[in-house]
Amino acid sequence: MASTDVKTPDHPVTQVVAPTSRWKTIVGNQQFILLVVWIAMIIGFSLKAPIFFSSGVAGNILLDWAPLVLIALGELIVVISAGIDLSVGATVGFSGVIGAFAMKALTSGGTGTVPTLVVGVLVCVLVGSAVGLINASLINYARLVPFIATLVTLGAASGLSLVLTKGAPIMSGPADAITLVIPWIGPFSKPVIVVVLITGVIWAFLHKARFGRYTYAIGSNAFAARAAGINVKRHITKVYVLSGFLAGLAGFFFYLRLNGGAPTSGLGMELDAIAAVVIGGAALAGGVGRVSGTVLGALILTTVTSGLIIIGVDPQWKRVVVAALIAIAATLQAFRKSEGGAS
Amino acid sequence: MTERGDVIYEVRDLSKRYGAVVALDGANLKLHAGEILGLVGDNGAGKSTLVKCLSGAHQPTSGQILLDGVEREWRSPHDAIEAGVETLYQDSGLAPHLSVSANVFLGREEVKSGILGKMGFLAQKSMDQRAHADLDRVGIAVPASGRSVAQLSGGQRQAVAIGRAVAWASRVIILDEPTNHLGARQAGEVLHVMQRAKEQGLGVIFISHTLPHVLQVTDRVVVLRLGRVVKDAPTSEFNVDTLLGTITGLITE
Repeated sequence: MASTDVKTPDHPVTQVVAPTSRWKTIVGNQQFILLVVWIAMIIGFSLKAPIFFSSGVAGNILLDWAPLVLIALGELIVVISAGIDLSVGATVGFSGVIGAFAMKALTSGGTGTVPTLVVGVLVCVLVGSAVGLINASLINYARLVPFIATLVTLGAASGLSLVLTKGAPIMSGPADAITLVIPWIGPFSKPVIVVVLITGVIWAFLHKARFGRYTYAIGSNAFAARAAGINVKRHITKVYVLSGFLAGLAGFFFYLRLNGGAPTSGLGMELDAIAAVVIGGAALAGGVGRVSGTVLGALILTTVTSGLIIIGVDPQWKRVVVAALIAIAATLQAFRKSEGGAS
Repeated sequence: MTERGDVIYEVRDLSKRYGAVVALDGANLKLHAGEILGLVGDNGAGKSTLVKCLSGAHQPTSGQILLDGVEREWRSPHDAIEAGVETLYQDSGLAPHLSVSANVFLGREEVKSGILGKMGFLAQKSMDQRAHADLDRVGIAVPASGRSVAQLSGGQRQAVAIGRAVAWASRVIILDEPTNHLGARQAGEVLHVMQRAKEQGLGVIFISHTLPHVLQVTDRVVVLRLGRVVKDAPTSEFNVDTLLGTITGLITE
C-alpha cells in the first residue's frame, strides 16, 4: 500500500546562492586580469626600451607565441579532461625531425617547394597524432596514469630524435621555406595567421560543441560522464591525439623557422605549455580552463622572454618571473575554488 | 492498493560473482509499470550489485534481465539508458563544473541544425529552456539552468540529479539512496518526485536505508540478504519493526 499523501513542499528547492561581490567577480575573471597584466608588461618594457614597441619585436614575439600556443592549447584540452601531457615538447622535436627527413628526401628527388611542404606538414601532424594515440592507448588499455604514460613517450620521442639525427639538425629541405615566416600583414606572418585561425577553431569546438562538453564533463566527474553514456575511453583518445596533432604542427612551425628539423626543438616546452595553461586559469584537477586564458598565458610568457632580452636583463630571469606568475595564478585559482564556483 | 500495470522490468535467477565472492545469488525480481518497488537490505546484502546489473554498469555472471518481456544484455550504462532505464547513483551523478542544463543533457546534447550540428555544435539556448521546463515538469524548481552545479546546495544538486533521471526515463528509474544527506523537507520533495514518476507510468526502484521513507512511498518491498531475495511482499505487510527484522534476519519465514 502506498500512501499517496506525501506532503507537497510549498517551496521547491529555491535557496539562491548569495550574489558575489564586484571584487570577487573581478578576481574570478582571470582573462581580464591577464589582459591587464599583459598590457602593463608591454607599457613597462616600452618605457624602459622604446624599441620594444615596434612591429619587428611584435613579429618576433608572435613567432615565439605561435608554436607555444599550439601545444599549450593541446595541453589545455588534456588538463581540462583531468590529464596531463608531458610528451608535447618531445613530440615537437620528433615530428619536426621526421618531417625534415621526408622533406629532405623529396627535395633531393626534385619535388617543388609547395608539394614538399604539404607532405612535410602532413608527416609532422601524423607523427604527432601517432604519439598522441600511443599516449591514449597507454592510459586507456595499459591503465597508466597520464603523467607516467606521457613521461614514457617523452623519453621515447626525445631519445629517438637524438638517435635518428645523431644530435644534428636535418637540413637540405626546400631552401625558400624560411621566407614563409617573414611578416605578411603587419607583424603577422602567414603561418602565424594560420595558428590564429586554428586557435579560433579550437575555441569553437571546446566552448560551443559536444567535443568540449564531453571534455569538461570527463574532467569534472568521469564517473558521471560514463554513467551518462559517454564513451570516456574514446573521448580520451581524441583528446590525446589532438594534443599530439597540435604538437606535430608546432614541430612543422619550428621547421619553417629554422629551415630544418632539430632534435632539440621543443625541448622542455611541455613546462612552458603547462605554465601557459595554469597562468591562463585552468585547474590541473580538471574541469576548468578557457582558450582565451591559455592564449593570454602564452602571450605573457613570450612577451616576458623578449622583453627581458630587449631591456638588457639576463633572459634567465624569465624562469623566475614565470614561476611568480604561476604562483599568483594558482593562488587566484584556490581563492575561486574556496568560493565553490568555477567556470 | 494502487493499480499496477504490466511487468516492465524483470530479473530471473540473477547471480554475480567477483572472483570467489558471491555478491548476488539467484535473485528474482518483478517491477510493474506505475509501481514503486522498495529494495532494502543490510550492507553487503547485494543491493549495489543488483543496481549495477540493472543499470548496465556491471554484467551479471548468470541469469536474465528482461525489459518489457524481452531479454536484454546491457554491455554498458549507455545500453540501458538508450532503452529507457535511468539510474541515479548514490553520489557523484553530476559533473560539478558544468551548468544545470549541461548536466541535464549530458550525453544527450541537442545540436544545431545543418552542418554545424553534424560537427557537434550545441543548441545551448534550446537546451537551457528545455532543461528548465523538464525540471519544472517533474516538480523541481532550480534557480537558473545556466548556473554551475558546484554553486548549488546539496539538496538542489540532488534535485537536479533526480529531475534529470525522471525527465529522461521512459520505462524504469532506479534511485540508489536518493534521500541520503538530505534534510526532512528536501527528502519529502524527493519522495514527491518519485510519486510523480509513478503516476506517469514509470517503474520505480527505490533503494534506501531510511525505512520510514520506504514504507511511506513504496507499493512493494523486496528484501535482500546475503545476495538472496528473502522476502518480496506488499508494503502493507510491513511495519518498521518487521521490515528491520527481515533485513537483519531476525524474522524468517
